[in-house]
Amino acid sequence: MSDGFKTVIFAAALCLVCSVLLTAASSGLKPFHQTNIMLDKQKNILKSVGLIQDDESYSSAEIISRYNQNIRALWVNPSGQIVAEKQRGESDLPVYLYQQGEAISAYILPIHTRGLWGRINGYLAIQSDGVTISGFTVYSHSETPGLGGEIEKRWFQKNFIGKKIVDRSGNFVSIAVAKGAVEERIPAERQAHYVDGISGATLTGKFLSSGLKEILLQYEPVSINFRKNIIGKTHKVSE
Amino acid sequence: MKLTHSKSFKILTEPLLANNPISNQILGICSALAVTVQLKTAIVMSLALTCVVSFSNLSISLLRNLIPKNIRIIVEVAIIATLVILIDQILRAFLYDISKQLSIFVGLIITNCIVLGRAETYAMVNPPGYSFLDGVGNGLGYSSVLIGVAFLRELLGSGKLLGIQVIPLSVYEFGYRDNGLMLLAPGAFIAIGLFAWLQNTWKKK
Repeated sequence: MSDGFKTVIFAAALCLVCSVLLTAASSGLKPFHQTNIMLDKQKNILKSVGLIQDDESYSSAEIISRYNQNIRALWVNPSGQIVAEKQRGESDLPVYLYQQGEAISAYILPIHTRGLWGRINGYLAIQSDGVTISGFTVYSHSETPGLGGEIEKRWFQKNFIGKKIVDRSGNFVSIAVAKGAVEERIPAERQAHYVDGISGATLTGKFLSSGLKEILLQYEPVSINFRKNIIGKTHKVSE
Repeated sequence: MKLTHSKSFKILTEPLLANNPISNQILGICSALAVTVQLKTAIVMSLALTCVVSFSNLSISLLRNLIPKNIRIIVEVAIIATLVILIDQILRAFLYDISKQLSIFVGLIITNCIVLGRAETYAMVNPPGYSFLDGVGNGLGYSSVLIGVAFLRELLGSGKLLGIQVIPLSVYEFGYRDNGLMLLAPGAFIAIGLFAWLQNTWKKK
C-alpha cells in the first residue's frame, strides 16, 4: 500500500468516527436542548415584565408555574384586536399578555430582527397604557461578545424600563439606541425615547433601533387600542 | 521509589507550577481574560479544558503510530474539535445558563494553544498513560491560574464569590467600593501579571 493511499484511508476513517460521535451526541441530547431553549424563552418573557430577577436563580418548575399563571400566548389581528389561537387569521402577529386575573398589566412583543452578524431574538414588554416600556430582553444573538454582545447584559436592558414609544402629543416615535450616553447625546425633550448605546457596537445599535421601530410599527394598531383604552385594563379571551 | 519521585508524578505536577502553561508559557491568555469575571464560569471552563486536553492527549497518543505524518496537524485538530463540540453539547444540555455565559469561549478551546501544543509536542511521541497524565497536569495548571484570577476578580470586582456576597454590606456603608477595573479586561491582565510575577520569583529561589 502506498503512503498516499494510507493517508486517504486514515483520513476517511477518522472523519467517519468523528461524525458518528457528533451525530450521536447531537441527536441524543436534542430533547434536553429543546427543553432548555423553551425554558429560556419563558424566562425571558417573565424577565421582560419583571416577574423574575436577573441575579437570582429559579428552578425550572418555578419558571413554568410562574409562566402558566401570568402569561397568555395570543394573537393580534391587523385591526389591533387580541384574539385567541382558534380565531387566528393568516396575517395575525403573536403577542403575550401579562395578566393578573383578568387585569392586563402589560403586553409582550416577540422581537426578531437583524443584528450585525445574525438574528437578534428577544422580547419587548409594554405596559397596558400602550406607551411605557416595562422591559426588554434578548435570548439569542450572534453579536461579538464584549461589544454588540452586551445587548444581552442587564446594564443595557435595564435602560429600556420606563422609556416611552410615543411623544407627549401622542405621536409614535419608537425607541432607539443612542450613539453613546443618552444624557450627553440626546436633547432633554427626546431622552425618553433613547437608551444608552454600547461603545464599539454602533452598528448593532443601529440594526436594533431600526428593527425595534419596524416591529413597533407592525404592532401599532394594538398599541393604539391600548392607549385609547379600547382593549381596556381587563381582557377576557374565550378559549 | 517514593511517589513524589516517580515519572508520573513529575509529569502531573510540573505544569502546575514550574512549567505552568499560563503564568510561565503565557499560553491560553484569550480565554483567561474572557471567562474570569466570575468564579463559576472559570471553574466550568477549567473543567472543560482539562477534559479536552486530557482526552485529546490520550486519543492522539493511542493513534500516534498510525497517524500519517503529512496530515498529523489536521488529524490533531479534528480530534480536538470533536471533543470540544461534545463538551459544548453536554454543557448546553445540562448547564444551559453557564454555557450561554461562556458563549463562544468553549468553542474557542479548539484554538487554545495549550491543547494543540501538548498534542503536537507530547502526545505524538509519548505512550498513552503518560500523555493522559500530561494532559491532566496541563489542564490543572491552566485551571489553577484561571481560578486564581477569577477569585481575585470576583472578590475585588463585585465583592462576591460564586455569586454569594462575601464582603459584608456594612463595609460598603463605611465607603468601601467595588473595583470596577477588575471586571474589565485590564483587570485580568493585571491579575495574570501578578501570577506570572509570583511564579518567576518562586522559580528563581
